[in-house]
Amino acid sequence: MSEDLVTSAAADSAQRQVRVQLISQQEDIALPESTGPILVPTGLRRYALSTLVNNLLSSEKPIPFEFLINGTFLRTSIDEYLVDNGISAETTLEIEYHDDWVSATDVLSTTSPAASWASGATFTPGQERILSGSYDGLLRIWNMSSETIATSPAAADGGHTASIRAAKFVSPNQIASAGLDRTVRLWKYTEGEGGFTGKISPQLELYGHKAGIESLAVHAKSNRLLTGSADNNVGFWSTKKTDAPAAPENLLPSSNARNTKRRKLNTSVSTPQRGPLTLLSAHTAPVSAAIFDGKDATVGYSTSWDHSLRTWDLVTGALVDTRTTSHSLLSLEHLPELSLLAAGTAARHITLIDPRASATTVAAMTLRGHTNAVVSLARDPHSTYGLISGSHDGTCRIWDIRSTKTDKEGVVGESVYSITRKSLEEEGKSDSKRVGGEGVKVFSVCWDKTVGIVSAGEDKRIQINRGEGVLSSQA
Amino acid sequence: MNPKAASKKRKAVTRDVEEEAGVFSGDELSKGNLDGSLSDTANDLSDSENDDSDSEVELVDDFSDSEDGEEELDSDEIPSDTEEIKPAAGEPNFRIVKDANGNDRYLWDEIHPDDNSELSEVDENANTIGDIPLKFYDEYPHIGYDINGKKIMRPAKGEALDALLDSIEIPKGWTGMTDPQTGKPLEISQEELELIRKVQMNEVTSEGYDPYEPLVEWFSSQKEIMPLSAAPEPKRRFVPSKHEQKRVMKLVKAIREGRILPYKAPEDREEKDEELINYDLWADEVERADHVMHIPAPKLPPPGYEESYHPPAEYLPDNKERKEWEQTDPEDREKDYLPNDFGSLRRVPGYDNFVQEKFERCLDLYLAPRVRRSKLNIDPESLLPKLPSPEELKPFPTACATVFRGHKGRVRSVNVDPTGIWLATGGDDGTVRVWELLTGRQLWSVKLSDDEAVNTVRWRPGKDAVVLAATAGDDIFLAVPPIVNPEIEKASLDLLDAGWGFAASRPAPSASEEGKKNNAPTWIRPESALLDAGVCVVIPLRYVPKTISWHRRGDYFVTVCSGASTPASVAISIHTVSKHLTQFPFKRRLKGGGPPQTAHFHPSKPILFVANQRSIRAYDLSRQLLVKILQPGARWISSFDIHPTSSSASGGDNIIIGSYDRRLLWHDLDLSQRPYKTLRYHRKAIRAVKFHPSGRYPLFADASDDGSLQIFHGSVTGDMLSNATIVPLKVLKGHKITGELGVLDIDWHPREAWAVSAGADGTCRLWM
Repeated sequence: MSEDLVTSAAADSAQRQVRVQLISQQEDIALPESTGPILVPTGLRRYALSTLVNNLLSSEKPIPFEFLINGTFLRTSIDEYLVDNGISAETTLEIEYHDDWVSATDVLSTTSPAASWASGATFTPGQERILSGSYDGLLRIWNMSSETIATSPAAADGGHTASIRAAKFVSPNQIASAGLDRTVRLWKYTEGEGGFTGKISPQLELYGHKAGIESLAVHAKSNRLLTGSADNNVGFWSTKKTDAPAAPENLLPSSNARNTKRRKLNTSVSTPQRGPLTLLSAHTAPVSAAIFDGKDATVGYSTSWDHSLRTWDLVTGALVDTRTTSHSLLSLEHLPELSLLAAGTAARHITLIDPRASATTVAAMTLRGHTNAVVSLARDPHSTYGLISGSHDGTCRIWDIRSTKTDKEGVVGESVYSITRKSLEEEGKSDSKRVGGEGVKVFSVCWDKTVGIVSAGEDKRIQINRGEGVLSSQA
Repeated sequence: MNPKAASKKRKAVTRDVEEEAGVFSGDELSKGNLDGSLSDTANDLSDSENDDSDSEVELVDDFSDSEDGEEELDSDEIPSDTEEIKPAAGEPNFRIVKDANGNDRYLWDEIHPDDNSELSEVDENANTIGDIPLKFYDEYPHIGYDINGKKIMRPAKGEALDALLDSIEIPKGWTGMTDPQTGKPLEISQEELELIRKVQMNEVTSEGYDPYEPLVEWFSSQKEIMPLSAAPEPKRRFVPSKHEQKRVMKLVKAIREGRILPYKAPEDREEKDEELINYDLWADEVERADHVMHIPAPKLPPPGYEESYHPPAEYLPDNKERKEWEQTDPEDREKDYLPNDFGSLRRVPGYDNFVQEKFERCLDLYLAPRVRRSKLNIDPESLLPKLPSPEELKPFPTACATVFRGHKGRVRSVNVDPTGIWLATGGDDGTVRVWELLTGRQLWSVKLSDDEAVNTVRWRPGKDAVVLAATAGDDIFLAVPPIVNPEIEKASLDLLDAGWGFAASRPAPSASEEGKKNNAPTWIRPESALLDAGVCVVIPLRYVPKTISWHRRGDYFVTVCSGASTPASVAISIHTVSKHLTQFPFKRRLKGGGPPQTAHFHPSKPILFVANQRSIRAYDLSRQLLVKILQPGARWISSFDIHPTSSSASGGDNIIIGSYDRRLLWHDLDLSQRPYKTLRYHRKAIRAVKFHPSGRYPLFADASDDGSLQIFHGSVTGDMLSNATIVPLKVLKGHKITGELGVLDIDWHPREAWAVSAGADGTCRLWM
């Protein structure tokens, strides 16, 4: 945001003004009806507009808004936008402002895997960082005082051209992210002195998937990434530029036949582009999640909408095992101590599958309690039996897989604790039931020993809950 | 017998009877209560001469109906009637005395020699042949023998002639009968006749007895003015009796002394009889079931209005019905009575069929006794085919998972793309939007029209290209949303652009065709703003297309302009994407049922189904033939869908039809033109129906204006023998009814059992 601030006042276009109609989809931040078109200097950028809207709303806590003009985010000054799109300054611009859904979070702390993988860089305790990727295609790094330290560049500057669906710290100074623009991007993250400013700069772009990437798993020790994509493939990538093969030509954005002005791709920054080590194809529907085995990084697991959970030998790229359940699987987590795989389903429950057992026993256990699709799973760092799930119903539930009972459908577990979204309470609607978790869907959840439970979702917030002592920690 | 007749009789009795043999006055006889039948019988008797006793009895019967038929009365025994009367008088002809031993001894009366008993009376001329018919002697000149063995000669034949001549002047005492003993005409004197009558009437035979003497009322209920006795009241009537007082005092004294005890309850006596054991045979008798052969009478239905004596007018038959009823055979009549209005209960006549019915009932009981029918004790539920419970039919959508908000105004159409990742919607605000299905994130939006609503959005089937067809106003738009990878995007663009060349190479329409109003439209490029947004082709159709349906291969799609003002020849158009060609295959309007509503291609055969308001027609496109007409019976068809496995290995064609008159109809095309099943579960019009597109889940759903979706299980089996099983599974509620409209469109995820609905409240919902 700081760079926005620097360039916000463009003196050359101060004399030009344009009528803008500021609108919002969200009722809670909508301007009153009486607010007609406002004349604003065309030199304004996102930050200035955001300040303006915050002033108009007289909100106590300034919300960093994103601005959408005719379906594209404003990443330049209004003036440049008008020039680029050939719009006359006489027309009334309809600017939609919103801060966007957060689709992915990750935590960097002493206890997080990324810190343990830190090879060269050192991580100073007390400087925990939270990474968030959101639907506006931006990565943000937050400190624990809920301040944005760094934001990834916009699409024009080598950023994601579409929504981010997954983001992970590879190491304290490397970030991987993937999204609907079908690319996996590796970023270099550097922090300034004191840790108040940071910079995310593109390092590597990985092409190979033909549809949006739904999930991303990192194994930093072996420099490997695993992605699951809606093109039914599991991608296996190297984070090292030297290891990775060349990118497939036909998937590069330059090969796009349609010459559209609305997408300006890679104009200013040229980032190295690479391809996948292997694309593992066996799934018949979008792959929802792909993870590494918790103990053995040469084994990967993937879940898909085609109801199956597949085990891959990543060395040879061979399909080892297929377990077919009766529902679409949307998330996956490995519990290595118990040799169980937890898979969240679209049918509102979590299925625990033992990948070692014979194929006749598909589900070892079912965890029931959610009222909508379970899209995110994370392990409890305190207990080997703990598990947290984030669901589209707007709750995160903590499960102890020991607290189970057997009923007619087999072994069924119930959640130990349920975390609701704080944003609902802020609105004073904590009691109201949201149909299908509308507005409060949780997209991503992450549980760190130091930071706690970090969850993010449709309410555009990242919520942190202390997760200690929920489960007895003895193994 | 009335007194008048009685007096007549008495008159007859008093008449003098001349003892002249064979001569009786027939006049007198006929007057003496001998009616015509008697004389007839008498004539018969005289003719045959060989009567038997029966006819005589009959004669007697006619005399008096109180007489028993068994009492035989031979005419020749009439003179000896005194003996007959004797027992009736009750005088036994013996006395009972005690002999020396004390036993009863019967002392019989002496028989007087002049007593005219059979023993004493020996008729010299009596016939001795005994009790044989006289006709045995028909061939002989004699008719028997008398007691002396002499032949009794048959009366000369001339006598018959004489008798005839005599009968002209009937002698007194003539009866017309022949004495069987003598063969001579029987003559009965008036006295004898009177005697016979008295015997028959059980009257006292003695002369001069009058049973009807006038009553002398000695003591009447009426108080006489003058009492019978003028004696004063005796003293005892008003002075208390000393004797009575004495008796009372005695009793009082006895009571006081305790000699007379008050009445004791009889139970004391019962206590005495304790030894007596009473066995109650029926003490523990339980009610027993009816005997196995017991057959209860059939229960009759309660009477209806028709059977009333004063039925409502509508139940009364008119003349035609009455005539028809009368003309039909009683056995063929639907009911065996005609409703009849009598006005009031007292005018109801006696039931004229009563005897007939009782007779028939008796006949029934006699000829056709009731038979115990072995009752079929079958639970009617068990006869119904076993429907599986909804629990077993999982998965199916049960809850709203995502709400898609963004459209202003109604969302009119919804469609999930073939890969199942995206959702396209079109609404009243003129925009087409593409969403991420699972999260409800809007990915792309384009405003096709400022003032007209987007009526339909449909993805092109097939995964090789991503093309979205949408209609807004008069135009059809083909768009490639910029959400796919460059490879597919290029393929999609190439697919749409390939037709420009065809269109250019096509010969320009001749002048005559140019003049025609309904020539095919030319496909054009959209304006630059839309082109940038991703819209590639615009087809200006001039009329508002309401539905789009793609062919499975993705090269054709059919649009239907269902507006009433649309000319019939351009209402249905088929568009070929690869040639940029629009054709109007139907020149005339489909018969019966207004403008066409919607059309779909058959999933595997070259057949186009077109629905108008009341019927669905199937046209074979390769042979240009009408193959089938379906008559669902709905008044206004809103939508229909063809089962995805139709005509494939797993069975014939199945179609579901939704109608604005709240009906959901399942048609099995192999069965009949009429629906196999009609489901009426919605309170308001059904807007859309849809089968699950994959054969994996046998589901279908409908969307209604009552704001709900209903999910059904409808499995089609491969063999032709079993019909489809249809089970209602779930009602999904959530859409708010806005302006009388509820859910406007529905679609299924191509693989999963997830449904998407478009609501008039501006939201779309994903149900899973």
